Amino acid sequence: MLRRIERLLVDLAIISVLGLGVLITATVLLRAFFNSGVPDAIVMVAELMVAAVILPLAATTANRAHIVVEFVSNRMPPRVRDGLVVFGSIFGLLALAPLIWAGWREVTHTIASGGYFFGDLNLPKWPGRVIFLAGISFCWLRLAIMVWRDIGAMRRGEPLADTGYGPEQTEEA
Amino acid sequence: QDLFVGEAGPNRGARGESLNFFAEQVEEMSGGDLSLNIQWGGALFKAGAALSGIADGVADLGTIIAVYFPQEMAPYRIADMPLENSDAWVGMKATDEIMRSNEQITEYLAAQNLVYLGTFTTSAVHIGCKGTAIRSVEDIEGLKVRGVGAYGDTFGDFGANLVPMSIYDAYQGLDTGLIDCSQTYSYATAALKQQEVIDSYTLLNWGQTGALGIFMNKQSFDGLPAEQQDVLLEAGRMMSDELGRLITADNEAAIETMREAGVEIIELPAEERSKLVEEGSKYIDEWVEQVSGLGLDGAAMLEEYRGLLEKYEEERDSQGYPWEREQG
Amino acid sequence: MDPTTIGLIAFAAVIVLLALRVPIAFALAGVASLGTFAIFAFRTGTFMPERAFTPTSSLVFSNSFDLVHSYDLSMIPLFVALGHIAYRAEITTKIYHAARVWLASVPGGVAMASVVGCGGFSAITGSSIACASTMGRICSPEMLRMGYDKRLATASVAAGGTLGSLIPPSVLFIIYGIFTETSISALFLAGIIPGLLSLAGFLIVIFFWVWREPEAAPAFTGKITARERFDAAIEAWPAVALFVIIVGGIYGGIFTATEAAAVCVSAAILIGFAQRKLTFAGLWESLRETVIQTTSIFIIAAGAKIFVAFIALTGVASDIVSFVSDANLSVVLLLVAIAIIYLVLGMFLDPIGIMVLTLPLMVPLVESYGWDLIWFGVVVIKLLEIGLITPPVGLNVFVISGVVGKDVPIDRIFSGILRFLSIDVLVLALIMAFPILSLLIPSSM
Ligand code: NA
Ligand code: NA
Repeated sequence: MLRRIERLLVDLAIISVLGLGVLITATVLLRAFFNSGVPDAIVMVAELMVAAVILPLAATTANRAHIVVEFVSNRMPPRVRDGLVVFGSIFGLLALAPLIWAGWREVTHTIASGGYFFGDLNLPKWPGRVIFLAGISFCWLRLAIMVWRDIGAMRRGEPLADTGYGPEQTEEA
Repeated sequence: QDLFVGEAGPNRGARGESLNFFAEQVEEMSGGDLSLNIQWGGALFKAGAALSGIADGVADLGTIIAVYFPQEMAPYRIADMPLENSDAWVGMKATDEIMRSNEQITEYLAAQNLVYLGTFTTSAVHIGCKGTAIRSVEDIEGLKVRGVGAYGDTFGDFGANLVPMSIYDAYQGLDTGLIDCSQTYSYATAALKQQEVIDSYTLLNWGQTGALGIFMNKQSFDGLPAEQQDVLLEAGRMMSDELGRLITADNEAAIETMREAGVEIIELPAEERSKLVEEGSKYIDEWVEQVSGLGLDGAAMLEEYRGLLEKYEEERDSQGYPWEREQG
Repeated sequence: MDPTTIGLIAFAAVIVLLALRVPIAFALAGVASLGTFAIFAFRTGTFMPERAFTPTSSLVFSNSFDLVHSYDLSMIPLFVALGHIAYRAEITTKIYHAARVWLASVPGGVAMASVVGCGGFSAITGSSIACASTMGRICSPEMLRMGYDKRLATASVAAGGTLGSLIPPSVLFIIYGIFTETSISALFLAGIIPGLLSLAGFLIVIFFWVWREPEAAPAFTGKITARERFDAAIEAWPAVALFVIIVGGIYGGIFTATEAAAVCVSAAILIGFAQRKLTFAGLWESLRETVIQTTSIFIIAAGAKIFVAFIALTGVASDIVSFVSDANLSVVLLLVAIAIIYLVLGMFLDPIGIMVLTLPLMVPLVESYGWDLIWFGVVVIKLLEIGLITPPVGLNVFVISGVVGKDVPIDRIFSGILRFLSIDVLVLALIMAFPILSLLIPSSM
């Protein structure tokens, strides 16, 4: 289930990147050939950026694609290294928790106050914030599941799975 | 007590200097009991997050630019409207007084956990162009213009193609011909060396952008003893005189710099300006409507503000600017 | 606990956590959140945690969200996408083949061509990160495929990416100009010679690297006829076309550098489909790689931004500058001290963060010594660029690491970087010792 959601989130992020490209290219073409433009393009690009950059967080986490410094851990025995991986994930849970709480506050506040961006369309501020909260929350969920499974694997004396999807079903990011 | 201050801009330029002036006044008048720890350049929060940053207490006080919060700062945005006032000092005094004394506004801000302390301005809105010149409103048609707020919208109404771009990118945009004209204000034009890339500079005398100022977290404010609160309010009030002096001098020097660089300085004829004023008036009506929709009396505020503009124009005409008075 | 102490503990905590293999983004964001909480909780002198929740959450949210919610930074996912799409459409392979054939007799020729490409790309983007993410995606995988030493294939591009801010246009120079009220155009001009000097330095490093270890850069072994050279050059036309579109579009006033990224992506997709090299599935796959990679870069940048705001609260940066400023140092010692300050801060913070934290105090100090602010700007930008490739937090290195994935561990990239760092220090010393290198062009215009 979560894996399907993550896939959907990545697909949405891909569509957002395409959207960025189309929107900005359209702005340039309209300006160059028709002396016109796309209203509020800047706001829409910024909102799409949130989707493009934050939604794939859970998939990035599941693929263990977060950038780490392995200089010290590579000199450790495998079990210690696995322990450090789990520690890193637990620390991640801790680090993301304030963001989720803060995101929730911000989302409820923005929806309640009806804040919007100044512009031609007066676009509301809430969609980007909701996307942000969703992306971080699914990442947190994925991390929590990985911590659970990784600890289980360590208890059984097995090596950690390559991805958060378990030992068999590895997937290319 | 050490108060955190969040400011999205640099510690230089007219706004930076007045914020420093504010800090000095606060420290001096409080006898050193209050000191301001200013974080420049958006180190604590960017302009788009200033309102929540102050209301939530990330900083005790800081600069809010109203255009980023059209809903939350709606009453303040009266200072951004094209109300035919081009005098920086007059605009700031009028804005400062209405923000300070209008109870509806005070309550509206208090509900957001904010207290108003003082106001800045970018000063009068003008427009610089490359390869073309705006001598009448007909000239606007078909030009690629970097415009902002109600002023930009009005350029759009006259047939300009609005190209969104930051004021810092305008130099290169004008240079390469990506835009023909950029809405600006005099001292910024010189500070960003735009005289190197523009051929003409049209003085519109149409209005200014003045809805940016210092606000304080209400809890922090209420937690201070009454005399310290007064110090902050008084320092905020003094700021408009100081900034008025700085900006008026900087703007005059900037026009001179442009002239020396061979930029043609054009004064928009009165009948052309009235066309701008007429077209722009619908944005003022929209503002009244919006503010009234928030449960405030928009029409009364507009009238009060117009009255204040007149009051300070008269004061200037009869007594001169405060800094000129001191000199003799 | 006073804020300065909290700040110093935080620096140490980041180092320890990174050594313990905690993902960089989590280490920065987590330490910054805890530290911010501590500062607000201790503000009244006694520990009052209930007063810290709201401001901490506000600071953490706004700094991470605003970094991502950015029109200007849309350039980064788009340029990354350009690299992936161009790779899949074989546009990059063709230009690399051409470079390899034409530079067969030059040791490490392809690495040199990559660094020169970075220099050229710097003249387009205003940002070192954008430069590294695009060129990294284009150059490093191609060099790895040619059997280049992993350290050379990655470090050369990470270093080359740092030219992005020294060679104009440059976001960092714009911010410096605003903070010092100096002419941005003069700063741009002042960066040219030091930028080219750095570029030359990188080429020298590659030359000696390959000269001492020829196996680091396998030369092209096939026979090379004039005909082959000609064909290779012709087949590289899509890359040349993209380059012409970018440069012509920006300098011809058709679009901005940010817009250039989108236009090039569109053009690359069109070329790819027209040449039947790109399929819809291939496009989707390259965008999948793009978003995963972009995310891993942005999450670190967001963590770094939260860390900057936290450091602003601690006042550590201004404490350090005040300390130096009160020490009444001689000119040479002051310069050395400034270099050390920026290098140390550069180990942890991002360039823009360092500038907004230090310049308000640094500039009056520099003025009191009567130094030229344009020259000083070049010195600062060069120092900040070096910070992008120094451990433990080296954003350019992380960008390259995000591109090459698990093939090359980050420590290998850093070890390759060391050779480029040594020449960077030399170039820096030259820039500091001879202000004329910076001031020659602006003063003659
Ligand atoms: Na550049
Ligand atoms: Na670094």
